[in-house]
Amino acid sequence: MKEKLDAILAEGNAKISEAKTLPELQDVKAALLGKSGTLTEILKEVPKMEASLRAETGRAANEIKQQLTKAVDARGEEIRLKASEISPDFDCTVPGILPLRGGLHPITQMCYDLNDAFLSLGFEIFEESDISSELYAFDSLNFPPEHPARESMDTYWLAGHENGSGGERLCLRPHLTGASVRFMQTHEPPYRFVYPGRAYRNEATDARHERAFFQYEALIVQRDFQFSSGMVMIKSILSKVFGRDVPVRMRVGFFPFVEPGFEIDMQCLICEGNGCSVCKQVGWIEIMPGGTPHPNVLRSANLDPAEFTGFYVNIGLDRLTMMRYGIDDVRLFRSGDLRFLQQFN
Amino acid sequence: MKISLNWIKEYVSLPADLTMEKIAYDLTMATVEVEGWEDVAKKFDRIVVGEIRSVEKHPNADKLTLCMVDTGPDGVKEIVCGGINLRAGMKVAVSMPGAMVRWHGEGELVEVKAAKVRGIESFGMICASSEIGLFDLFPFEDDGTIVDLSDFDAAPGTNLAVALGIDDVILEIDNKSLTNRPDLWGHYGIARELSAFYGVPLAGIEPFERAQDIPALEITIADAQKSPRYVGVQIEGLAVRPSPFEIQTRLWRVGLRPINAIVDITNCVMLATGQPTHAFDSDKIKGHITVRRANDGEKLLLLDDRELKLCAEDVVIADDEGAVALAGVMGGKRDSVLPETSKIILEIANFEAISVRRTVSRHDTRTDAAIRFEKGIDPQRVDIALPVAMRMFAKIYPEMRVTGFGDNYAQPLERKKIDVSLNWLEARLGKRLAADDISRVLGHLGFDVAFEGDTLRVIVPSWRSTGDISIPDDIMEELARMHGYENFAAAPITTAFTSSISQLVPSLDRNIREFLAFSGGMREVFAYPWMKDEFATAILGGTDGLLALAAPPSPDEQFLRPSLLPGICRAVAGNVRYFDDFAVFELAQVFLPGDFESAYDAREKLPVQKRHAAGAFVGTDVNTLFRRAKGVLELMPRAVHCEGFAFEQKERPFYADETVWLNITAGGAIIGQLALLSKKSALACGIKNHAVVLFDFDIDSLKPFASRENKYVHLPPYPVSDYDLSLLIDASVKWAEISAEILSERGEILLDVAFIDEYRGKQIPAGKKSVTLRLTLGSTEKTLTSNEIENFANSAIKRLGKKFGAEVRGR
Repeated sequence: MKEKLDAILAEGNAKISEAKTLPELQDVKAALLGKSGTLTEILKEVPKMEASLRAETGRAANEIKQQLTKAVDARGEEIRLKASEISPDFDCTVPGILPLRGGLHPITQMCYDLNDAFLSLGFEIFEESDISSELYAFDSLNFPPEHPARESMDTYWLAGHENGSGGERLCLRPHLTGASVRFMQTHEPPYRFVYPGRAYRNEATDARHERAFFQYEALIVQRDFQFSSGMVMIKSILSKVFGRDVPVRMRVGFFPFVEPGFEIDMQCLICEGNGCSVCKQVGWIEIMPGGTPHPNVLRSANLDPAEFTGFYVNIGLDRLTMMRYGIDDVRLFRSGDLRFLQQFN
Repeated sequence: MKISLNWIKEYVSLPADLTMEKIAYDLTMATVEVEGWEDVAKKFDRIVVGEIRSVEKHPNADKLTLCMVDTGPDGVKEIVCGGINLRAGMKVAVSMPGAMVRWHGEGELVEVKAAKVRGIESFGMICASSEIGLFDLFPFEDDGTIVDLSDFDAAPGTNLAVALGIDDVILEIDNKSLTNRPDLWGHYGIARELSAFYGVPLAGIEPFERAQDIPALEITIADAQKSPRYVGVQIEGLAVRPSPFEIQTRLWRVGLRPINAIVDITNCVMLATGQPTHAFDSDKIKGHITVRRANDGEKLLLLDDRELKLCAEDVVIADDEGAVALAGVMGGKRDSVLPETSKIILEIANFEAISVRRTVSRHDTRTDAAIRFEKGIDPQRVDIALPVAMRMFAKIYPEMRVTGFGDNYAQPLERKKIDVSLNWLEARLGKRLAADDISRVLGHLGFDVAFEGDTLRVIVPSWRSTGDISIPDDIMEELARMHGYENFAAAPITTAFTSSISQLVPSLDRNIREFLAFSGGMREVFAYPWMKDEFATAILGGTDGLLALAAPPSPDEQFLRPSLLPGICRAVAGNVRYFDDFAVFELAQVFLPGDFESAYDAREKLPVQKRHAAGAFVGTDVNTLFRRAKGVLELMPRAVHCEGFAFEQKERPFYADETVWLNITAGGAIIGQLALLSKKSALACGIKNHAVVLFDFDIDSLKPFASRENKYVHLPPYPVSDYDLSLLIDASVKWAEISAEILSERGEILLDVAFIDEYRGKQIPAGKKSVTLRLTLGSTEKTLTSNEIENFANSAIKRLGKKFGAEVRGR
């Protein structure tokens, strides 16, 4: 009898592990432990056995029944975990389903990158209107009365308002700088702010010139400021925007509203300063003018130039964005052409 | 502007080890932008002087000759040539293999190679002037004329640039970078900067000493402000002939064409000193010279044959018969130097910058002279230009005589005096400069310097006193640029913390853009602030009363946008060629005529300017487009943290379809719209096959929240059930009416009613539609039984049936 039981156990275990599906396993279980299963048949015979054999056989048979039941359950669990609804033909290489494909204008992206960089240095953001007047566009910025920029060949004056003067002579602002005076007139020093926005100039357009462009100015005004600190500001901002250290140099430059004035160059990112067609072989690219606000500008903002000084930069966003992506035609920015705009995500 | 290094070296002895790179770098960093430089000799590499030993006819070609040419160290070579003026003993320019030439003076530069010409090996090429870029120095009339160098004292084999004395380096300077420096528009000025950089002396220019017995030349200045000074020198015994070759090449190297000795001298003086001069034919001057304003309508025939009609703002040089030249700009035809001229009046004068600039822009007559006067030349420059000019005349015309001289210095220029505090200087520079260094640097630049305690007393040289240098900050700049901007250690920027930066308006602007782009799936575009008329008319119905530009970019783009939609539609019209399904938006200012006011200055009168957001959803199915657009707007206030708005039909926009439009309202006021572009407007915009749903709203009317305004609501304690209903209802009944009716009796268990979809078409009777909606039901006190749910649904169905005749589908 013992041999018979051992054989049932061995055969049962083998059949259980061979079962591939739950129904198959169910059949195996029925054949072993069902109403007329092999083990059930033996258990049925136990009461008929001699007393001496009965106890031992009953105990052994029950033990085997427990073992087989356990084995069936374990195998059932295995099969259930293995079972998958997914066909082995599932193709993981098919492209993903894209979310909505909107996006910001590449210049807006650049503007926000700069905003984030300047905010981290404690700058506020200031925005002003596109239509300004001669009062803020020129008078308060130390442009001499006869400066050529005041003429209509350079500035878009508004019809019916082009012949007045000062606050009544209206224009699409030719630069953002006038906004700095507006800010200073309405806030208490010291100042640390940026003012991004659109500016307009009446000129012929080509791949490098636009009538409407995006500028980004930053201004610090405080009691003590060395112009050399402006370098620290420019370097930290550019390295944040471009994601690496960008060599920068300040050289002499002239703008009516700063004294001293600088042209600020950054090393050409295309050739790493070795000279290429983008930088006209000089290794440097002019990216912004800057300097110390002219005493007359500070006076326009009711500040005493003997007490206050600072630093100003004016970043041409169109140009910087062109640098960033290697864009060769500035007019694309205002073309509204989605074939172009879609490239910037 | 082109600057010759050889010319500069006539005024300063530059250190021997100085490289061109260093000069260009130093000038760029501290003075003017050097765009590049060109080594002239390099253009003549492998081009040498050759001497023709013999000339024979080519055996195979009538028009060609065989020349044996002595090329110096390379020996005597046989060269085939088509020249018409070849002779034995003639010195010629020989391009050896490897030289770059322009065949027959046309096309690209090509490399010369030894080659067989009609069966005969030719070593190189005997050149015409046009083939080696020297036409201006060796002009000719007949094709095939070879440059004759026989007069040059140069042995065969001498490099041509050396033989001609043109081995020079030419710097190209960006004119824009010297607009504020009237002193730099001549070689002497640039030389002065270099003398300061390298601490080397600048050659002085000895004043002009004139004989005491020279008769006075009478010169009248009518308006001293417009013409502060006028010097006239009458010179006799001249003849019009070419300049000495050295003068010709001097002009040629910096890009000017030599003309004749008299004109060449005036040009040389200008290029040396920055002071324009002019030579009149003295015999044509009737009476004496007057500098005066033109009479209104006065006519003047210029040297370039243009006749100008002048006005009283123009300044002219006149004689007794009328205007003879446009002051500071260009000479007149009547008194120009002609081949027979032997007697001239040399003008060295000073004219007001503004006046010249206005005349130039009025008559479109910008000249090299005018460019210089426009920058503001000091009247003392005359004293530099005069001796330079007179020495050149004396050298070129040893027989000349000065027979008249007049110097009317009507309005002398004072040199500026500026006091600078040394402590202030140190604070701004972050460095104390030694007094010796200050004196040396400013001294080289022509400033007179004295120290008095903390004060630096500076007297500005006349050539920087016309506006360039006027305040202590200008002196600081002079010292800083000469010290080298890179030699000031950058001080860290310190910050004083008072509070964090929180700016609701810029944040709202950014939140809206990012929401429309990333949640709305829209692409941001930038348009111009001026509208194209066709789009303005299509969208707005017209342009009456709009703000306009006085000088617009084009005649059909003069009006400034009161709405972003014309620009949006222009972008849409440009993209429908390439895309069938897309969405664009823009955030920018719009301009409204009317209330002119300024928040900053009572003197300022500005129009109303508001920030708007506008967009378009473009595709084929109006229903989908409209709902997509509306969904974006519905979600926006929550997502961008501002107060919400409502949709109502109050006032149909011009461009909107008759039916599909809504106003966006806040507190009852219209702040924007959402509408289908009408077929008529779409066609007017050139959009034929696409449906366009537009929106536009005023961002300045939105009230941003200072922080997130979400409220926490307890999770439902008992299960919530959804109950979907499909209704057959009159097609004219609006969803807003259906949902309002259902919500009117909530029965304490209706939590929400939601639109699922709408269907018209097959299986639905005409005039009807099927609307599927979902009721969300639940209680805070218990789990609802199916009876309670059914009862509520049935009562709602009953009410809808009674009010709208609605029936449940499929029952």
